[in-house]
Amino acid sequence: MKILRNTHKRKKSLSDRVFVICNTIFMIAFVVVTLYPVLNTLAISFNDGTDALRGGIYLIPRKFTLKNYTTVLQKDNLITGAIVTVARTVVGTLLALVSNAILAFVVSRKNFLFKKQLSLFWVITMYVNGGLIPTFLLFKGLHLTNSFWVYVIPGMVNAFNMLVIRTYMNGIPDSLEESAQLDGAGYTTIFTKIISPLCKPVYATVALFVAVGQWNSWFDAMLYNRMSDKLTTLQYELMKLLSSVTNQGTSAEAMKNSTGTVTPTSVRAAATILTMLPIICIYPFLQQYFVAGLTLGGVKE
Amino acid sequence: MKKKKLLCLLMAAVMTASVFTGCGDSKKETGADTSADADTSADADASEDASDDGEAKANDGEIKEFTAFFAVPGSEINDDNEIQQMIAEKTGVKVKETWLTGQTQEEAIGTLIAGGEYPDFIEGGSSSVQLYEAGALVALDDYIDNYPNIKEFFTEQEWDQLRQDDGHIYWLPQFSNIYGEEKECTHNDEAFWIQTRVLKWAGYPEIRTMDEYFDLIESYNEANPTMEDGTANIPYTILCEDWRYFCLENAPEFLDGYPNDGSVIVDPKTETVIDYNTTDTAVAYFKKLNEEYKKGIIDPESFTQTYDEYIAKISSGRVLGMIDQWWDFAYTGYDAIKAAGLDKQGCSYVPLPITIDKSVKNQWHNSGGVLNVSSGLAVTTSCDDVEGALQFVNDLLGQEIHDLRFWGVKGVDYEVNGDGTYYKTAEMRTNASDSAYKASHLCSYSYFPQWLGTSRDGINAMKPDGQPQEFFDGLTDDVKECFNAYGVMTYVDMLGSSPAPGPWYPMYTFSSTMTTSTEGGTAWAKMAEVKHEYLPKVVMADDFDAGWAEYMDAYNACNPDAFIAEMQTELERRIAEAAKYE
Amino acid sequence: MAIARKTKTTIQQAKPRITWAEVKKQKALLIWGGLIFIYGVIFCYLPLVGWLMAFQDYKPKDGLLHSKFIGLDKFKMLFSDEAFIRVIRNTLAMGVINLVVTFVTAIAFAILLNEIVSKKGKKTVQTISYLPHFLSWIIVTGILHDALSGTGIINELLMNFHLISQPINFFAHEKYFWPIVAFANVWKETGWNAIIYLSAITSIDPSLYEAAAIDGAGRWGKIKHVTLPGIKPTIIILLLMNVGNVLNAGFEIQYLLGNGLVQKVSQTIDIYVLKWGISQGDYALGTAAGIFKSVVSIVLIVIANQIAKKNGEERLF
Repeated sequence: MKILRNTHKRKKSLSDRVFVICNTIFMIAFVVVTLYPVLNTLAISFNDGTDALRGGIYLIPRKFTLKNYTTVLQKDNLITGAIVTVARTVVGTLLALVSNAILAFVVSRKNFLFKKQLSLFWVITMYVNGGLIPTFLLFKGLHLTNSFWVYVIPGMVNAFNMLVIRTYMNGIPDSLEESAQLDGAGYTTIFTKIISPLCKPVYATVALFVAVGQWNSWFDAMLYNRMSDKLTTLQYELMKLLSSVTNQGTSAEAMKNSTGTVTPTSVRAAATILTMLPIICIYPFLQQYFVAGLTLGGVKE
Repeated sequence: MKKKKLLCLLMAAVMTASVFTGCGDSKKETGADTSADADTSADADASEDASDDGEAKANDGEIKEFTAFFAVPGSEINDDNEIQQMIAEKTGVKVKETWLTGQTQEEAIGTLIAGGEYPDFIEGGSSSVQLYEAGALVALDDYIDNYPNIKEFFTEQEWDQLRQDDGHIYWLPQFSNIYGEEKECTHNDEAFWIQTRVLKWAGYPEIRTMDEYFDLIESYNEANPTMEDGTANIPYTILCEDWRYFCLENAPEFLDGYPNDGSVIVDPKTETVIDYNTTDTAVAYFKKLNEEYKKGIIDPESFTQTYDEYIAKISSGRVLGMIDQWWDFAYTGYDAIKAAGLDKQGCSYVPLPITIDKSVKNQWHNSGGVLNVSSGLAVTTSCDDVEGALQFVNDLLGQEIHDLRFWGVKGVDYEVNGDGTYYKTAEMRTNASDSAYKASHLCSYSYFPQWLGTSRDGINAMKPDGQPQEFFDGLTDDVKECFNAYGVMTYVDMLGSSPAPGPWYPMYTFSSTMTTSTEGGTAWAKMAEVKHEYLPKVVMADDFDAGWAEYMDAYNACNPDAFIAEMQTELERRIAEAAKYE
Repeated sequence: MAIARKTKTTIQQAKPRITWAEVKKQKALLIWGGLIFIYGVIFCYLPLVGWLMAFQDYKPKDGLLHSKFIGLDKFKMLFSDEAFIRVIRNTLAMGVINLVVTFVTAIAFAILLNEIVSKKGKKTVQTISYLPHFLSWIIVTGILHDALSGTGIINELLMNFHLISQPINFFAHEKYFWPIVAFANVWKETGWNAIIYLSAITSIDPSLYEAAAIDGAGRWGKIKHVTLPGIKPTIIILLLMNVGNVLNAGFEIQYLLGNGLVQKVSQTIDIYVLKWGISQGDYALGTAAGIFKSVVSIVLIVIANQIAKKNGEERLF
């Protein structure tokens, strides 16, 4: 199919200009709408808790205070939690990235003998779940409970991430692999030297997904390492702080006897902002891989 | 095993932090463990000497550490908490407490049972029976006699009530147990609340019935539609979110002059269970709400608001009246009213002794403790020192440590008058409600057994909120004025107090343990579902009678009789049980 | 369609036979694939023994091994309950609506973002767009409640434009519930979901754009003939995966936004399981519902995968 060649040049640039204007307006609107909840949370995090209960805080705190932040930062074990969280994010992301990439590489080889079977095997894992108790028993049997490894081993291979990488790898022309094979390269070399360098954008994407997941997860810390203070995570400490001041899913009896009377809303806001900060800081480093556009000239047939 | 070690090494390399020296399992290490903790938590502003003491003791190996899990949400305290250290020095025991986070009680207990490993102490909430059935708990009856403070905690009859079907006692209910004379000033439970400005405007009239209550709110709102700053009043709002919909649904039982049995009315004369959802009073109450809704007196957002929105409305001082339990709004909404100075406009709430008819005596407030036999503190089979654990519980009930738990440190958290009365300065009171101070200093072991009522010294209350002087100092001026006008001293006096109606009270300790495994339990769950949907519809209905009829159809389809029958059986069982002691 | 075909994957090929020579050639692939397969068996398939629970009168004290088998009772219970049929309907409806709107918005957003000329502008917009992903549902629903309340900004705007005369109580009417949930999902996740498409866009060979420009294509032309075909495999794969997820329409958001008046349309399978299973101590019921969801999901993706295969598109397996 040929694209119409005789389009008038002036007309085209006019439509282009209209497009740019509309797009800019749309983007500004979008930014306003998505930025608002974040700024609102920020304002509440700097507002006095009891005062915030009255509502009506939008973008600017009404009764400024740092108390919400000091409350959060004074939480016991926060430093330990932060160290463990950084460790699990780093180790977990590396492990997940390597294993997902290898698996994606294997199932994206067009000659691979069990291409279809292995793909199906992993696709199914996305939709089945044995439930809390059997999983708990399994991890206990594997001596993963009360250990750091329960954070990084169980979620290591994830079908979703694997498929995202596989799709990207599928888009890389086969000729690259073929010519390397002619040069005598084995699959290991093809993976490390040829395919992986081209997959940087998708690796960055998956790394981001895994890292954010690791950074935010706390349920595993609660479930498997509740009794090991030294293996607590940042988010688990924050969750404990929050659940001591909130009431979701509790009973009247528990409310009557609860000792905490701090306001949950403002503490939650402060905790949210604090956990968002590192991600916002790290994001630009990853972002360059998938916003800058492709500059690797290698993908040519 | 080799592989695991290798992994550990790798991990240690990755993590520069010295904290990780091995693969987990730090449960129940004492000595070295505690001192390591002191290093890492140096950020939490611990007083120097406290942590020093702790370390010294820990190194001597004198302080034994127990673990505890409470299947309810709660506040964690810091590892180097000062009062916890003091208690540890006096008793030789420290308990590391963990609370429910992000799971339901059933899930948490279910996982523990599946894993077969328990903390030393446990409170299972409504899943306590499952712990017992799984054989996770230690029978306590053989031990109790050796611990005088525990023995004293319940009467013989109460101890027997706690026995499970195998005849043994497995848990100790912690709350609502009164020592000596009862000291209660606050009405912690449900009531029709009203702002003092409404009562003041009307010259503090006597309000006894539901009709009078709504008439008063209507006429006040007509005369004063706004607050001082021009914000419109919300005459009456109803909280209806999730389990908090008791603010809408259970008023008929109180209006008929019955106490808070929770799920049903018990007629003490005939000893039968009555369903309060279908009484004439229920019809009258919802019809009244329907009328008020049409008049615009009831907040149109009542049935869609979340708890946060409800508290925001209460905090703004706009709401003239509502039904609620004190604890549900006082520590959030009412505190915000005080913080904003709205009490100067008369926005504080007082309870009113309202019934359906003047001839009916109200029982909004009941004196005496409530023994909730369905759950409590238990010791598990994983505990290797049951005697030590129970000795600790015994120590916690001793007066000196009880004071430490609930009053704090003398000279720091409270002062003592010449006549031996405890009191707090304003600063001490502020400290006591500061979350950071609580975490680093106060340690009440809040889910261990505790007393209400009068201290063994005969002068003070077991807990500060029962101390009359403490109570009065905390009152705002508008409430004081209102109390003066009615000639009462406390919130409880506003309502009057009645003793518990009978040995069955309260029935909710049974209904709260019901599950869908029985017919009655299924009915009970379905009834709640139907009420959640239809009660708001009934109140908002254009034609009340048609709306009510529709509601009744859906309600009767739930088979409420099965529920009532099971409640009746339990009622008779409780009466028969109690008869043995007469 | 020369441009489009260039980026398209080659899927159709003769199936290799299992021969000794082939195995030897693929040694590295087989070892790695095998190791990860074993991992998958242990961590993803072994816990499925738990499914036995659905056929048992499971009691924690007896565990999986000693609980009494009761056959299909739990399934019968589920499917004879009118309420369960209703939550399936709600879950499906919300799942499909969410799938469609979040899908379209994320793709559109990624493409439009890519069209921003200024690099700085592009980065800024993108950074802001994904931030709501990090807010918890409780914060997002709190803001939504504010905005949609009787005195909230939405009602105020509608009143100012004289579109309505009385504030609408959005949360009291069943008809608004699904759209509100869909909007909340779009609001929170569009920027985040777009990341994957942005990274896919980078895989498009820049020379294709140059070629299109030479052919005289405008912006729309380039989007239509280069960008969209370029990210088509990613779109298809994500679509296939999400088709299997329509029964996972969520729990938290419906729980936080719902109330008694709209419970007939707000409750999802997950809420049902919590209410009638877990919080009643009935673990088996939840497992039975889980099995039902898994079976439906797998059937759905197999069908979707076949359709993709027929059309020669990228597929899951």
